[in-house]
Amino acid sequence: MGLTFSSIFSRLLNWRKEQDTRILMLGLDSAGKTTILYRLQIGEVVSTIPTIGFNVETVEYKNIKFQVWDLGGQSSIRPLLHRPYWRCYFPNTSAIIYVIDSSDHTRLPTSRTELLTMLSEEELKGVPLLVFCNKQDVQGALKPEEISEQLGLAGGETSRPWSVRGSCAVSGQGLEDGLDWLVNAIQEK
Amino acid sequence: MYHLLKGFHEYITRKEEFSVIIIGLDGAGKTTLLEKIKTLYNDTPGLSPDKIGPTVGQNTGKITLPSTILQFWDLGGQRGIRNIWPKYYGDCHAVVYVLDAEDRERLGEGLEVFDSVLSNQQILEVPLLLLANKQDSPMALSVEEIRNGYEDWHQSKLESARRDRFNETETSLAARKQRLASLDVMGVSALEGTGVRAAVDWLFIRVQNSRRRDNQRGDS
Repeated sequence: MGLTFSSIFSRLLNWRKEQDTRILMLGLDSAGKTTILYRLQIGEVVSTIPTIGFNVETVEYKNIKFQVWDLGGQSSIRPLLHRPYWRCYFPNTSAIIYVIDSSDHTRLPTSRTELLTMLSEEELKGVPLLVFCNKQDVQGALKPEEISEQLGLAGGETSRPWSVRGSCAVSGQGLEDGLDWLVNAIQEK
Repeated sequence: MYHLLKGFHEYITRKEEFSVIIIGLDGAGKTTLLEKIKTLYNDTPGLSPDKIGPTVGQNTGKITLPSTILQFWDLGGQRGIRNIWPKYYGDCHAVVYVLDAEDRERLGEGLEVFDSVLSNQQILEVPLLLLANKQDSPMALSVEEIRNGYEDWHQSKLESARRDRFNETETSLAARKQRLASLDVMGVSALEGTGVRAAVDWLFIRVQNSRRRDNQRGDS
């Protein structure tokens, strides 16, 4: 009985803590970040235009409030990654969602480089990483396993939990599972 | 004086950290096991089993025991991503191999992969625990059946190897024999949590012992 109460209590405490959870959502342009964001927030597919600057939305998922920062991925902004732009958002980040367009084979190496560069940032050390291999509904899309292999996170990224998952922002498939995993990984920290 | 006391306090309460990797075929229950361990030992409950899907990547978990911290890595077990396991062999202190005792069809595959783990040179000195998971199912093979099954499987493999005139070197064979003799197999149910504490206790004791052996080797 006491155990039950204490576990409920600690859950409540954790919920409170989660109120200012900041999650960054990053990825190359047209990977589907904004679509995922609004799919999570209002459960609808909105038609999006390339993001310049960023969208910040509070997403409430199972009583946990996330502040999701969807940073524009266009190449005119992205080269600045190594310098200040994305970096300003790195402190106090609880988790990273990295979105990859699984059907875009040619730019996968670019996506990988961007990801690895970001992960090497000191401020993001140990932060859980969720990779959405988006657009799984498109024919010829690479499977999460194949993308995971190409990203080569294994071995190098031992300090953080990471997960590579398939998703389809349009149908919403895989998004909830991914978030469940992410919530668990954040609480673990 | 303060620093002296502080240092003393730190010395008394310091905890050593050990890394444990959890591997096995896909669907064996590795993530469920890790989440159960977290639920049993930590304040925040782990993910409930119905939310767990196939892992591509790694899940981590940390539990604090008296004087020791165990850091777990749960690695994906699908065929295409098993090649990431060896990247973790270098700095792990113990290996847990999870076998689905209920799945008789894939038992051969599970044992074959287990055999490659057992005979891997990199982790020959590292404590290895074989867990026969899903003991909650009435269909599950018992610990003895798994152990015998592995020995039979191993024997038949040796014979076929001899037939193929493919022989292992004497030393590695001896090392393997020794490892096989000291192999521990335990039954668990990651779903219900039976046997999980016993497995963690085993890890706790074995990582400490192997560390002591390391120190002695370093001294001599």
